[in-house]
Amino acid sequence: MEITHRLENEILIITIKGRLDGATSPKADEFIKERLKGNSNRLLFDFEGLEYLSSAGLRAILSAAKEIKSREGKVMLAGLNQYVYEIFEISGFTSLIPIKETVEEALKDLAS
Amino acid sequence: MVSHSYSFELKSDLSELETLCQHLNKFGQITGLSQACSTDINVCLDELFTNIVSYGYADDQEHLIRFTINLDNNVLIFKIEDDGVPFNPLKKKDPEVPADLMDARIGGLGIHIVRKLMDDIDYKRKGGWNSLTMKKNLLFSLIDRERI
Repeated sequence: MEITHRLENEILIITIKGRLDGATSPKADEFIKERLKGNSNRLLFDFEGLEYLSSAGLRAILSAAKEIKSREGKVMLAGLNQYVYEIFEISGFTSLIPIKETVEEALKDLAS
Repeated sequence: MVSHSYSFELKSDLSELETLCQHLNKFGQITGLSQACSTDINVCLDELFTNIVSYGYADDQEHLIRFTINLDNNVLIFKIEDDGVPFNPLKKKDPEVPADLMDARIGGLGIHIVRKLMDDIDYKRKGGWNSLTMKKNLLFSLIDRERI
C-alpha cells in the first residue's frame, strides 16, 4: 500500500494505491488523521490505483468522511475499480459518500 | 472441471494477509479462476482471518489458522479452522443499512461481506477448534456478474 497527498485549489487529495486491508490500514488511518489536522473541509480519495479493499480499510475511509462531514465539508471518492466499488456497495456506503468515475470529474464537482 | 485441493496454514498475525494473497494467487493460477472470483475469495478469507486474529485469542501466544480449499464440479468449498475462543460468526446480526453517514458503523461489516459473497456458510465447534465451511458456486457467480 502506498499513500500520498496533495492540495489542489484547497481540496485535499489523498491517493491510496495497492492493497488496503487489516495489515496496511493502521498506517493509512494514521496518515489520513495527520493530514486532517489542518482545516481542510473538502476531501477527495483518489482510488485509481487501489487494487483491493477490506472492511478494515473501509473503517479508515469512513472515519475520515465523518470528520469532514462534522466540519460541514464535502468528501468524495473517485476511480474505484469494479471490485472496490462492490465492497462499498455491499456495505451500503455508495448512497452515503458521493462517488465519481474519474478524479477530474470529482475535482470539478468539489471546486463548484 | 478437474477437482483440486489446496491447504495452507497462517500464523495469527495480520502481516500474514500478504501470504494469504500469495496462496490465493497460486490457487488461482492452478485452477484458472477469474480475477474477479479470486478477489471475492480473497476478501472473504481476509475478513474471517482478520476477525480471528483480532478477537479470537485470549492469550498472546502465536497460533496457527488452517485453510483448505477444494474445487469440485464448479463448486468451491473453503474451510477455516482456528483454536481460538468459541465464535460462531453466523450468530452475528447483519448491520443495519445506515441512513446517514454519521450513523454508519464498521462493526459486523466483515461477516456481512462474507455472507453476500458466499452461497452457503456452516459453523461447527469441535475439540477446541472453530470450523467454518463456506461454499461458492462458480456458475452462480458467473450469472451474477453477467447480470451486472
